[in-house]
Amino acid sequence: MSSPLLDRPSALPRGTVPALVDLVVALADNKHALGLRYGEWCSSGPTIEAAVAASAMAQDELGHARVLYGLLEELPGAPRRTELEWAAEDARTVGLLDQAFPSWPHLIVANVLFDQALTLVLASGLDSRYVPLRQRTRKLIEEERYHAIHGRGWFLQLAAEGPRVRANLEGIVREAWADTLCWFGPAEGGALAPLVAAGVLREAGEALRLRLLGAVGPLLVEAGLRVPVRLDGDRWELTEALPWQRWDEPSRRVPR
Amino acid sequence: MKTIGEEPVYEVFARRALGEPLRHVGSVAAPSDDLARVYARNIYDEESWIEMYVIPRAGLISVESVRTDPVDAHV
Repeated sequence: MSSPLLDRPSALPRGTVPALVDLVVALADNKHALGLRYGEWCSSGPTIEAAVAASAMAQDELGHARVLYGLLEELPGAPRRTELEWAAEDARTVGLLDQAFPSWPHLIVANVLFDQALTLVLASGLDSRYVPLRQRTRKLIEEERYHAIHGRGWFLQLAAEGPRVRANLEGIVREAWADTLCWFGPAEGGALAPLVAAGVLREAGEALRLRLLGAVGPLLVEAGLRVPVRLDGDRWELTEALPWQRWDEPSRRVPR
Repeated sequence: MKTIGEEPVYEVFARRALGEPLRHVGSVAAPSDDLARVYARNIYDEESWIEMYVIPRAGLISVESVRTDPVDAHV
């Protein structure tokens, strides 16, 4: 027999509410910041089509953040956030979004890595027992499908520009690597574990990390980049340890 | 893969309702079919299309070249 659905916050198992609040705040704050960063390229992309695409992705991300902030309104103890308040001192954004993307390849790497990582976390809530989360994720993920196509297309185009551009891309990927791959949390335990145990998320931590590596590993190799990931049998895995000693779980950041 | 700024052009066609003809709504320049789909969706989304297609301009087959003679020239 399947587990019963949780149709309101009061139905959530004891102890999962703070974890869910923390996750939703972090997802929404990062989506809001990502939207602003995409938007900064809405009139300066390398082609007019690229600029329009950046603008469209910015609108999507800001809209997703608004939807997720709405989820917070129902949760007891959640901070009040609106799209105007995201820059609060406690914004849970990753380091790669602290500053404007200094170049178009920086935007594309964030598009390929971090944007997709956030989508994988949301996808883990598609069949959530917590109905308000389940109801909000499907449309967001549908829109993210086009972000993934955009990132992949541009990543390959940039890589085809030659060895200098590929070397630059490698450096940017390495800058964004820990921010992105640590975001899912550690392999064991971690703040998201109670949400998986309660059926609010299908998976977190290592399982999501392997999903991301499975998605981006083939692209990174196809693009001819030397990055710390390899195919072992039918599974993509890291070839270098992540900096867990620097990972700060409450802020979901790897301090720089 | 084309160099940035030298991407091939795709023509964009769409239909608003079943039974209506496909109409030409514009064009985009893109290095791949996938990016052409993304760009067309982003740029030409102001109307509620039920279908939208992109076609590489190079794939259009010419039926008749630009007419330079008067239409009744065969008389």
